[in-house]
Amino acid sequence: MTVGVGAGTEPTDMVLNIGPQHPSTHGVLRLLLRVDGERVTECEPVVGYMHRGAEKLYEVRDFRQIMLLANRHDWLSAFSSELGVALAAERLAGIEVPERAVWLRMALAEMNRVLNHLMFLGSYPLEIGAITPMFYAFTERERLQAVMEEASGGRVHYMYNCVGGLKSDVPSGWEGRARRALDEVEHGMVRLDKMLRHNEIFAARTKGVGVLDAATAAAFGVTGPVARASGLDFDLRRDEPYLAYPELDVPVVLRAEGDCHARFMVLLDQVQVSIDLARQCLERLAGTPGPVNVKLPKIFKPPVGETYVWTENPLGANGYYLVSRGEKTPWRLKLRTASYANVQALATLMTGCLIPDMIAILGSMFFVVGDIDK
Amino acid sequence: MRGAVCHDECMRLPGSGLVSGLVATARTAARRAVTSQYPEHEPDLPERSRGVIALHEPNCTSCMLCARECPDWCIYIDSHKETVEVEGAARPRQVNVLDRFDIDFSLCMYCGICVDVCPFDALFWAPDFAYAEGDIRDLLHDKGHLGEWMANVPDGAKPEGVE
Repeated sequence: MTVGVGAGTEPTDMVLNIGPQHPSTHGVLRLLLRVDGERVTECEPVVGYMHRGAEKLYEVRDFRQIMLLANRHDWLSAFSSELGVALAAERLAGIEVPERAVWLRMALAEMNRVLNHLMFLGSYPLEIGAITPMFYAFTERERLQAVMEEASGGRVHYMYNCVGGLKSDVPSGWEGRARRALDEVEHGMVRLDKMLRHNEIFAARTKGVGVLDAATAAAFGVTGPVARASGLDFDLRRDEPYLAYPELDVPVVLRAEGDCHARFMVLLDQVQVSIDLARQCLERLAGTPGPVNVKLPKIFKPPVGETYVWTENPLGANGYYLVSRGEKTPWRLKLRTASYANVQALATLMTGCLIPDMIAILGSMFFVVGDIDK
Repeated sequence: MRGAVCHDECMRLPGSGLVSGLVATARTAARRAVTSQYPEHEPDLPERSRGVIALHEPNCTSCMLCARECPDWCIYIDSHKETVEVEGAARPRQVNVLDRFDIDFSLCMYCGICVDVCPFDALFWAPDFAYAEGDIRDLLHDKGHLGEWMANVPDGAKPEGVE
């Protein structure tokens, strides 16, 4: 490095660490930035600080115990992740789940999606300087969490799915309370929507920032709301339906812009879609009496074989590749997590952006660090 | 229902955001808070709420099922056999006597598998949550402490014959 009069004017690259403990990284994601002044010239996401070896632990846990690990790698999509493991085991063992359980699972999965989206609808504006949406979002989250807790006993880690259905039926009168909670959330969403949809400051920070085109998104394997904001028309609930999604008309929220603003708007609109879907599921549930699980032997051993199940998790497509050798534990259970694929696009998105935009882009990729590192 | 249509064309006038912001502030200031005042008002928790595990000691046969099924092995059980003479019975009977039943709540992941697998209705969930400790070692609840939680187990969860 040149020392002397010219030192201040020499263009020098600086390597800047964002994370693993930076407050804007929500979790322990580390970004290695090479900056030229305020401009990011290179970005390398460093993942793995939160690796807990979930996949290896699956190999020494039976399917009941796996649920507790499955709902923890992505703590914001706990129900949906439990569901994926249960679906994989059920497909391998050829178990037909009772109809009531199917509708109940769908209703809860959609409510879980609303819960997940509300978290990002609150935290993303917070990251770029607006504090009120956080309170609005958490007020609505609380209503749904109360309903989820009443059914499952847990506020975050539900432990409600089991191979063959759900652990137990919902308490009496739950459907009514769930429907009321959905109405309240829908009503509460109006003020969140009004505050952010046409907000000048919010638009100024997010419009045209971090544009991800459809081809790049597809190349990185980006899925879920982030991909749909780039115009990738892909939703497993419609394209490869599981549970009873074929019986419902699932509207897919799409945007073409692919910027941070579009990603946020997809999330905002998906909440409404999920509320509507959850309502339809509750309606079907009310007309479907019967058991919510099938009786299985005390020690459940799926037959020898392998299967791949993927579901539309709140953050994107989650895949579960299950290989069984007929033991009570899986021989291998490989996860394909949405967040891991989504953050891969960060390196391209960040190149050339400014430091404040870097925060806006990072938040708008909607990931959970536990889901990246597993 | 809102579909895939974009609503962004109708961006409002500059400055109107500030006015509507101040209106929102005035409106919110006049409204009651949605937060519940926790230490004064206990939250109303549902029956299934997984707060703390209670032990009904007389029902425990120290069969070790819960300790074996626990995914992170946070249940510790010791027991010994005792021979008891039962009046009217031809031979004395052997019973398991529980010496130690500890749950380490610093390890517990609140999955509820132990409660589910217990075949003798000895373990229950109580909705209590306020048992934080200053020292992590105090989170190891012994059978006496676990028994105290029985008082808070919802009646609906208790089987017949358990008070």
